[in-house]
Amino acid sequence: MRDVVRWVCDEAKRRGAAFADARAGETVGSSILLQDGRADKLSQYIQRRLGVRVLLDGAWGFASSEDATRDGARQAVEAAIDMARASAKLPCDLTEVCDLPPIEDEERVAAEVDPRSVAFAEKMAAMRRLEETMAQVAAGKAVNTVASYSDSVAVTYVANTRGTLIFGEAPRVWMSAGLTVQDGGLRQRWGERKAARCGYELVRDTTPDEIAGEAARIAVSLLSTAPPPSGKMPVVFHPSVTGLFTHEAIGHNAEADLVLAGESIIEGKLGQRIASECVTIVDDSDRGTNWGAYKYDSEGTPARERMLIDKGILVGLMHSLTTAPRFGVEPTGSARAQDAGYRPIVRMSNTYIKPAEQPIELADMIRDIDVGLYVKGGQSGYVMCEKGQFTCRVGEGWMIRDGELAEHVRDVCVNGMTLETLHNIDLVGSDFTLEWPGMCGKNGQGMPNNCGGPHIRITELVVGGLAGV
Amino acid sequence: MANLQAIAKQACNEAMRAGAQFADVGLSRGKSLSIELERGRIKSSDARWGSGCSVRAIINGAVGWSSAPGADLDAALQAARLAVELAEVADPDPDFRQLPGPASGPDVGPTADPRVAQLTIGDLVDFCLMNVESAQEVEPSVVVSGGASTGWDESVLVNSCGVDLYRESTSVNASVQAIIRRGDDVGSFYDYDVARFLEDFVPEGLGAKAAKEALSCLNARKIGSGVMTVVLGPLASPSLAGSVCYAAVAEEVQRSRSFLAGKLGQRIASEHVTLIDNPLIPRGLATSAFDGEGVPRKPLTIVESGVLRSYLHDTYTAGKAGVESTGHSTRGGISPTNVIPKLGTMTAAEIIAGVEDGLYLNDSFAYPNMVTGDLSTTVEFGFRIEGGKLTYPVKNTMFGANLLDMLMNLDAVSSDYREEPGRIMPTVRVHNVRVAGGA
Repeated sequence: MRDVVRWVCDEAKRRGAAFADARAGETVGSSILLQDGRADKLSQYIQRRLGVRVLLDGAWGFASSEDATRDGARQAVEAAIDMARASAKLPCDLTEVCDLPPIEDEERVAAEVDPRSVAFAEKMAAMRRLEETMAQVAAGKAVNTVASYSDSVAVTYVANTRGTLIFGEAPRVWMSAGLTVQDGGLRQRWGERKAARCGYELVRDTTPDEIAGEAARIAVSLLSTAPPPSGKMPVVFHPSVTGLFTHEAIGHNAEADLVLAGESIIEGKLGQRIASECVTIVDDSDRGTNWGAYKYDSEGTPARERMLIDKGILVGLMHSLTTAPRFGVEPTGSARAQDAGYRPIVRMSNTYIKPAEQPIELADMIRDIDVGLYVKGGQSGYVMCEKGQFTCRVGEGWMIRDGELAEHVRDVCVNGMTLETLHNIDLVGSDFTLEWPGMCGKNGQGMPNNCGGPHIRITELVVGGLAGV
Repeated sequence: MANLQAIAKQACNEAMRAGAQFADVGLSRGKSLSIELERGRIKSSDARWGSGCSVRAIINGAVGWSSAPGADLDAALQAARLAVELAEVADPDPDFRQLPGPASGPDVGPTADPRVAQLTIGDLVDFCLMNVESAQEVEPSVVVSGGASTGWDESVLVNSCGVDLYRESTSVNASVQAIIRRGDDVGSFYDYDVARFLEDFVPEGLGAKAAKEALSCLNARKIGSGVMTVVLGPLASPSLAGSVCYAAVAEEVQRSRSFLAGKLGQRIASEHVTLIDNPLIPRGLATSAFDGEGVPRKPLTIVESGVLRSYLHDTYTAGKAGVESTGHSTRGGISPTNVIPKLGTMTAAEIIAGVEDGLYLNDSFAYPNMVTGDLSTTVEFGFRIEGGKLTYPVKNTMFGANLLDMLMNLDAVSSDYREEPGRIMPTVRVHNVRVAGGA
């Protein structure tokens, strides 16, 4: 594949491309699904893709297939050039590509335990321990248990016509435990997960109680919850929700390709105050084996920490080789592709609010709230970037009444307008956790991301619950 | 060009030779073209093509899956052997009965249009630029994104019980998102069209429609909280129907993960709600003669006048339940096909006119917690209804309800609807919904 990506770039240049890059990769992976006592579904896959992107006569074209041979590359170059010719009818302005010095490097993320070397029997036994733990902690209330495991090792080559050539090899491991519990006519469900860019040591180093026991405890506690309230109120976020909020409410809006496309609410606001002074938000790929970490992005640009909001001021965006020149800045190594078969687009990595330096704890945040909500367990979210309206779905919460945590509630969903909410963050805690790995979807591509931060307090948010306050 | 069926048969035989008791093999290849727009110009044109194979081997109910790129014999044989190795290690499942055998299927007509397969990237460019123009005619300052795409694929399914099927499919779609700014105020909306056949594809005017709706979304206001009547328009109501259909998936019911578990034969909605899954609609987006395992498809009444009549089964869940498969396998999961609600007698305008104080949802992602049915979600694009009229757009607004309560409080389904091939999307009205506003 190394020779193929180099050949693609040479050929594209010979055919008149002002810039071209090629990505080739092969990923092998396996997974186990253990439900209700049986690991009766095991799977393995091999995936291979070659993707070619060309800039020809001021227009972009892209082509990909699973054929990473020289013949396949020839077809891909030809097709990418055809596509560029089609785009030339009315090309957009993203035709300047940052002129970075070429880099030749390798990134081999070493697994302490290569997941390919671990027998399925051992992996299944680990999933059984998760399930046994869930059943035990749920004390007879579990009606469905699911333990799942997946791993992958991806090999990638990235080359461009500037001379960059990056080889990457990285493992990933994901494990999760979830259950449905029932008590009388009531049923609730909860799951916990752990994932990292590492080898099977993640499983060996995780105790079953850490995810399976925790999932069962929360699921059982949800059986005695009340429906969530409905209305506008102060809300305190647990770090698991802070991360989700940061990712959805501001992270996507700070992707420079959306800003350039006119699809971001923060367009034109660089250098302006868009959040309260206690808010500093960062996206950082340089975090070891963290689920969203990487050394080089899919364009071969070195990744780094990106300061997005510094004490409330919008100071930066996440950039690719083509968005950075439009802002007169260096690219930030934020261009990622799901795999070699997709065009790189601007994505987040590990996004979080920085904790406060002085001690501020949850008790400090709730003591002066008459009626409010504390939410925990961020599950999913999305944002309408162009109008800056975000939604976060959360698994559980506690009413705050007269400065104390009160009744436990379930299935909370909150909504806010990004720019208002950022200004309404009046307290940022001194704690910090970055352990909510997930897959983010954008333009049909799924990408591993992580998010987190400290506890934060927002003076008002809309809560879309089922009950009156 | 490799003969997919011959390769699939050889791979299936290999899996049986290696020790499988049952096996099925899927091979496919396809190609697609797409355009992405940015600010009304072409950001990129993309071409993708590929092929792949997947083998499922079953031993005492234990399942091993193996998939690989390419539709060549070597890859398929290797995948077959690997699938068997996995099935030998997996836990047996005594609930597994068998894979389906060959059967004659219904005549659904062609599912692929050669004219769509022959669409060029130049054709897609024309669809896109036509819609950019029509959006700009409505509002010159509109920011237009979206694009167009077309796809063709063929696939085969062969199993060890004699199923031997070939399927071909095409698709074409165009979409426009229109964003209009007036200072700090933003109005946005979208429109799209999708089809399998060129005669059903109507890309004209999407840009103008999206731009007009975006204009109507300017000056959105926050509203107060309360209990209201909510009218879900054609782009919002399918999420209610979809929630019911996905909760009716038998795997979720049998695993106690669905709010419809234990409710077969019971009233779950008002008499206005009838949902029929019809995989036989000519040229429908989800139309096919056989499901993913090779079971012949037929229409299924899921909900009839508010009563839950059927879950959606594949052969595995049907075996556990002691019923016939309903033909909803995706070969690895279960999914509805073309979901058709029974229409009512009032038009959408009449339904809205009957609401004194409420909310109209132009679009919303109304999918509940599938275990409990509790729903809490944002009104993404909505309007206030006052005195039977849409008055102004809303923002920072949410609603919450239990989905079963919403279905019971559903008192009207419109007679008019938005149609995509195989999909009927009416307007529905639901009373007593708790709305939370940011005012």
